[in-house]
Amino acid sequence: MDEYTRVLEAVAETADEKTAEAAVQKLIAHLKSSGRMKMLPHIARELRKIGARRRLHAPHVEVASEKEKARALAEARAAGIDAKDVHVNRALISGWRARSAGMLVDESGKRALIDIYRKIIA
Amino acid sequence: MESIIKRIEREIESFVPSKGATETGIVRAAGDGIAEIDGLSNAVMSEMVLFDPTFDRTLEEALKDTEPIYGLVLNLEEDSVRVAVLGEASKVYEGMLVRRLGRLLSIPVGDSLVGRVVNPLGEPVDGKGPTGAKKFVPIEREAYGVIDRARVNVPLHTGIKAIDAMIPIGRGQRELIIGDRGTGKTTIAIDAILNQKNEPEEARPICIYVAIGQKESKTAKIVALLEEAGAMAYTIVLTAPASSPAAFQFLAPFAGAAIGEHFMEQGKDALVIYDDLSKQAVAYRQLSLLLRRPPGREAYPGDIFYLHSRLLERAAKLSQEKGGGSLTALPIIETQEGDVSAYIPTNVISITDGQIFLQSDLFNKGMRPAIDVGISVSRVGSSAQTKAMKKVSGKIKLELAQFRELEAFMQFTSDLDENTKKQIDAGRRMTEVLKQKNGEPLPFEMQAVVIFAATNGFFDGFTPEEAHTVEKKLRDYLIREAKNVLTSIREKKEITEDSEKELLTSLEQFIQRTQ
Repeated sequence: MDEYTRVLEAVAETADEKTAEAAVQKLIAHLKSSGRMKMLPHIARELRKIGARRRLHAPHVEVASEKEKARALAEARAAGIDAKDVHVNRALISGWRARSAGMLVDESGKRALIDIYRKIIA
Repeated sequence: MESIIKRIEREIESFVPSKGATETGIVRAAGDGIAEIDGLSNAVMSEMVLFDPTFDRTLEEALKDTEPIYGLVLNLEEDSVRVAVLGEASKVYEGMLVRRLGRLLSIPVGDSLVGRVVNPLGEPVDGKGPTGAKKFVPIEREAYGVIDRARVNVPLHTGIKAIDAMIPIGRGQRELIIGDRGTGKTTIAIDAILNQKNEPEEARPICIYVAIGQKESKTAKIVALLEEAGAMAYTIVLTAPASSPAAFQFLAPFAGAAIGEHFMEQGKDALVIYDDLSKQAVAYRQLSLLLRRPPGREAYPGDIFYLHSRLLERAAKLSQEKGGGSLTALPIIETQEGDVSAYIPTNVISITDGQIFLQSDLFNKGMRPAIDVGISVSRVGSSAQTKAMKKVSGKIKLELAQFRELEAFMQFTSDLDENTKKQIDAGRRMTEVLKQKNGEPLPFEMQAVVIFAATNGFFDGFTPEEAHTVEKKLRDYLIREAKNVLTSIREKKEITEDSEKELLTSLEQFIQRTQ
């Protein structure tokens, strides 16, 4: 099952929509002929998981206010995170934070305040 | 109030926000104290990670619960890592952010730990505030190699006659205490700690009692006992109670070893007691099964032998070049129905340098400590005995073995010759002399003198039933009347000709007065 999922993942990454559609059709035909149609929902679930993980690891910048967007994007790019999307998250209080492929750069006021709080109560 | 404000102001002024990127992952699934984390592709085995509940909360919510939850990386998989949660596992949720800390699981060590009760992360659990230990050491590390080690030849006195005379333990040795439930395993270990008070301060080892999977009430009782006896002045208690996560119970002995090594590396002696490794093995089995590692015999994972061997190998006597310190380990194993051939007992027996085997039958017969001297052994042997003890204890083991053989034979016949009867009586007397109440360890010079009296026939005029009482009276007498002899033996660590003469006179006088 993992093999089928990996192949489909690779096809989705590299091929256009038409080729991908053809690959899925071929897979279904193959599963039917080998009597393994029961695997189809599992393959779909695995692909959904991979999609969710990708979205999670996609470059992403959050800012505390609209006016900080430009500066946040530039600073994130300097830190190695090249994001297209910027979301406003007021819970950050000030500053920004960015994530990409498991790396996090947190320059927010919230993080600084929590760090100070932890230091004082330690 | 003013001081608090000043402290906060100082913190704010000196605050430098942490710069740079941190590697993070996301909890994919969590349950039974194990979390599967997506990401953290550069994480290494045994690395610490931090579950960060503040990431997706507002500041107000985050400040309500800033208690850090640590995790320990135990499985590295293709696109995820599995982590044992070292804390409240119920607080870990799917989607939670996890940060790499970039250091192996470490605990704070230092002299300030002495007298404290801590958990396997080195956090105090005795309500006495921070321990003040600043130096962090990894809890898993490779044991010292052959070149760094010296011969084990300095005794570690337990204060128990039967052990110090027949199964001597040396500093740097690993001696297993094994027996069924309720046979006095912990008592022997605690007596060994209490006895260190009889040692001169400069030679007194730092004792580390590691309670694994014990009831908290039992640990509290032990701490109270040690405190009452003044033994906490040189003891550290490390506890991973039965209610703690399996990961804590698995890590506790390694943390104990790390603390012991800290003192060993300073050239000091340390004694670490693992009470008990059966429970640690069970905790490790639980973790391994949850981590989906393949089960082996009795469902233990394949590396269960390595778990214990890498822990016990850390006990060592270092060479003079390395400071000459030592770490003695007294692991405890609980057997079921006296079965020493079970999986974990045989493993640990083969790793250690000997074992003290406790029998339920002996315990029920009133023989305390219930040591079966027949199958108990110390592979270090007499090289870890003082000259005084070596001199007096040479014959005991053989005599007791002969006595046990005759005793078994006696059950089938009632008609015994005079010689055999005498031998049996002598064996019984010796058995009575070796009996000892718990919490009353004896200094080695006193043990040597008592055994000297027993092996030289000074108890022969008494019935075996009287021997135990006479032995107690003899000790009181010697403290009163033969202090010089005791002091001489303690200082010279041997029974010189002069001391022997003086001792014989004292013993004769005692017998005359008592009979």
